[in-house]
Amino acid sequence: MNNRLNTWLTRGDWLVLIATLLLVPNLYAAYWHGSGQGLEARVWVDGKPWARLDLFREQHLDVPGVLGVSHLEIGNGQVRFTNSPCQNRQCIHTGWLSEGGDVAACLPNRVSVQIMADDPRFDSINF
Amino acid sequence: MTQLIQTTRDDHLIAWFTALAITIHIAESALPSPLPGVKPGLANVVTLIVLCRYGWRMAVWVALLRVLIGSVLLGTFLSPTFFLSLSGALASVAALGLGWAVSRAVPGWALGPLGFGLLAALAHMTGQFWAAYALFIPHPALLHLFPPLMTLAAVLGIVSGVLTRSVLARLNSSPSTSID
Repeated sequence: MNNRLNTWLTRGDWLVLIATLLLVPNLYAAYWHGSGQGLEARVWVDGKPWARLDLFREQHLDVPGVLGVSHLEIGNGQVRFTNSPCQNRQCIHTGWLSEGGDVAACLPNRVSVQIMADDPRFDSINF
Repeated sequence: MTQLIQTTRDDHLIAWFTALAITIHIAESALPSPLPGVKPGLANVVTLIVLCRYGWRMAVWVALLRVLIGSVLLGTFLSPTFFLSLSGALASVAALGLGWAVSRAVPGWALGPLGFGLLAALAHMTGQFWAAYALFIPHPALLHLFPPLMTLAAVLGIVSGVLTRSVLARLNSSPSTSID
């Protein structure tokens, strides 16, 4: 075992290092690829699918959650929370969603909205 | 009437190294973490030292006992933290086992401390992340965290490998600590 300390990197170490250098950028490519412009948003309430929305039909939507009503604004290919009966307004601060896979959620009210793209990266969503 | 349990030299080594690893584990838990799930993994250095000096079987004992006893002492036993930690440790010892088997089968491609450290850190993060995703937060948005977490794991794995290597070099140069 001592002979392995003669060098900083053995041949095996190089192999692991190079494999890592190849792996990490691929992880970014696999998990960070944008799904492009989404056409449709899905709304979940308390873990159950509640509505599917056309992102290009302008509308304001009241979503009855567990605590109260969350307001969604939809239009121009985007959706956002405009009001929600929660403390931190995290969902509102998330802002406009437009990219496929984008998610905003009001966890206290158990309401979430996600943009679906032509090529959705996920088959299902659970809370 | 006293009943004596026969302990072997290996048992004593495991106990001492586990105690050392737990100490580091607890000290490390006091450090503030920038991101949940990201720790320097200094306790893993002990696992790597045991691996390089005494082999994989002993390293498994030290790694798993450290997670178990460390969680009891920190009060996180059977909590989500514990299961994440355990998943990480299991994935990590599995990866080290693979690396160990390859190192023994093909000595020309044997891994050193850096290779093992990197392997352990990446496997630990992978196990922990997918356990978190499967058991606690099965939300697609969580997946965005995977690449940066793995990047950090790779960096920290190399750091732990370098630390392991320097500790091993010192252990080897002082005759009083060499047991075999």
